[in-house]
Amino acid sequence: MSDNVLGAKCTACGTVSYPAHAVCPDCRNEAFEPIAIGGEGKVLTFTDVYALAIDYETRYLRLAIVELDDGIRVTGQLLTDAPKLGQRVRTTIGVVREPGDRAIHGLQFVPT
Amino acid sequence: MRPVYIAGAGMTTFGRSEWSLIKLASVASLSALHHADLGEIPVDGVVVANMGAARVNKQTALGSALVDQLALHPAAAESVENGPASGASAFKVGVQAIASGMADVVLVTGVERMRVVNGLEGTDFVASLSHPEAEYIYGVTLPSLAGMFARLVMDRFGIERRHLAMVAIKNHENATKNPYAHIQQTITMEGILTLPEAAVNNPPIAEPLHLFDCCPVSDGAASVVLVSADVAAKLGGPRVLVAGIGQATDTHAVHEREDPTDLKAVRLASEKAFAMAGLAPSDIDVAELHDAFTILEIAESEAAGFFPRGEGHKALERGETALDGRLPINPSGGLKAKGHPVGATGVAHLVELTWQLRGEAGDRQVPAAAAGYACNFGGFGNNVVATVLKREAE
Repeated sequence: MSDNVLGAKCTACGTVSYPAHAVCPDCRNEAFEPIAIGGEGKVLTFTDVYALAIDYETRYLRLAIVELDDGIRVTGQLLTDAPKLGQRVRTTIGVVREPGDRAIHGLQFVPT
Repeated sequence: MRPVYIAGAGMTTFGRSEWSLIKLASVASLSALHHADLGEIPVDGVVVANMGAARVNKQTALGSALVDQLALHPAAAESVENGPASGASAFKVGVQAIASGMADVVLVTGVERMRVVNGLEGTDFVASLSHPEAEYIYGVTLPSLAGMFARLVMDRFGIERRHLAMVAIKNHENATKNPYAHIQQTITMEGILTLPEAAVNNPPIAEPLHLFDCCPVSDGAASVVLVSADVAAKLGGPRVLVAGIGQATDTHAVHEREDPTDLKAVRLASEKAFAMAGLAPSDIDVAELHDAFTILEIAESEAAGFFPRGEGHKALERGETALDGRLPINPSGGLKAKGHPVGATGVAHLVELTWQLRGEAGDRQVPAAAAGYACNFGGFGNNVVATVLKREAE
């Protein structure tokens, strides 16, 4: 299992999409190279959600949309005690959901 | 395109129901068919809107099942699943059938029976519309998308929690005048926001949204009968014209949108619907918006063109969207208090507008309403259907 979260870099115009699409939203090219998504960025928005779906036994989840310094935006789990808009974070990969006996890895955000 | 009219409208009470999915759909359908009073005129087609039956009720092919219940065979039958926009999408399919000349009478029924599963399962079924790899795996649910949207919009435009509470208070008040509404309970600013016990009464659901910012989980069905101009002329009575329909999509993952505070699909769908109708937002007398979360009523009222960007909460505060205001929004009680049986919601919007335009809305009647607008908001704004209805002189 790859620990990386992958986006798609268009082989024609170089635009990076996350998540990947079958067609480049910028130039309509249909060929891509996988590219690891992550790095440092800032919290665009966040929430503590108590209305949880299945697979979670916690009381709430802290979720965020982060704008990475390379301009890519990502959704993930925010692992900070005092979240605020604009806060600097960096991405890590961790277990984000455990359906049955599986462990799904994805993006988490920790303070820089 | 041939003009299309709504000849009848009906619905079940929204709330927790002991009725089966098809019983709910049948009761709403019969109520719309009786309202239309078709006599010997045959129904050519049936379109059923639903989101979760395959998963929640273990039933598929609802169009076929409803035709059979109503003994309408050999009428054509379709089922439409388009997330929370299923209702208005099914309506659009019915309108297209008549506009194209392929049908003269189409029954459109939206139905959902989602209280048979527990809250976790119900929330998860709706969350399955989010992006599977970029959102869902993180625990994203619709309330969480609404919470993140609300925080951003509130920060940008100076909207406070009291503004969100005003939406809830208004819509709860309206719902007490609607016998079909799920929640029949007025609420106060003190009880949900300012008194110490408000913290208990109104716990957080997805910060900054709390319980009274979110619609309930409802069972229910709603139905309209669509007819061609020839059939409408034979039936006589009040004529409600489907003046315009617009639909637009946006990115699946919310984070991919250039401006995540802009409900672009609402804006584009509304522009199309108004252009087709030859009307402007200022011509609308009554609107039904998709307030699954209070923040959405404010944001949609701007994106639809009723108020400038960042001004929706100010219009709300001035009472312009109240039942006796300049543009009453959600006289039915909205999703917030009327309830939100997902597949039924888009049709229920049009049921309410039809009643309003026919002067049949009882204690919540908007005086002399002649043009109505509805916004059915699918996904978290990635698939939106806007509809404009207009009363025609008899």
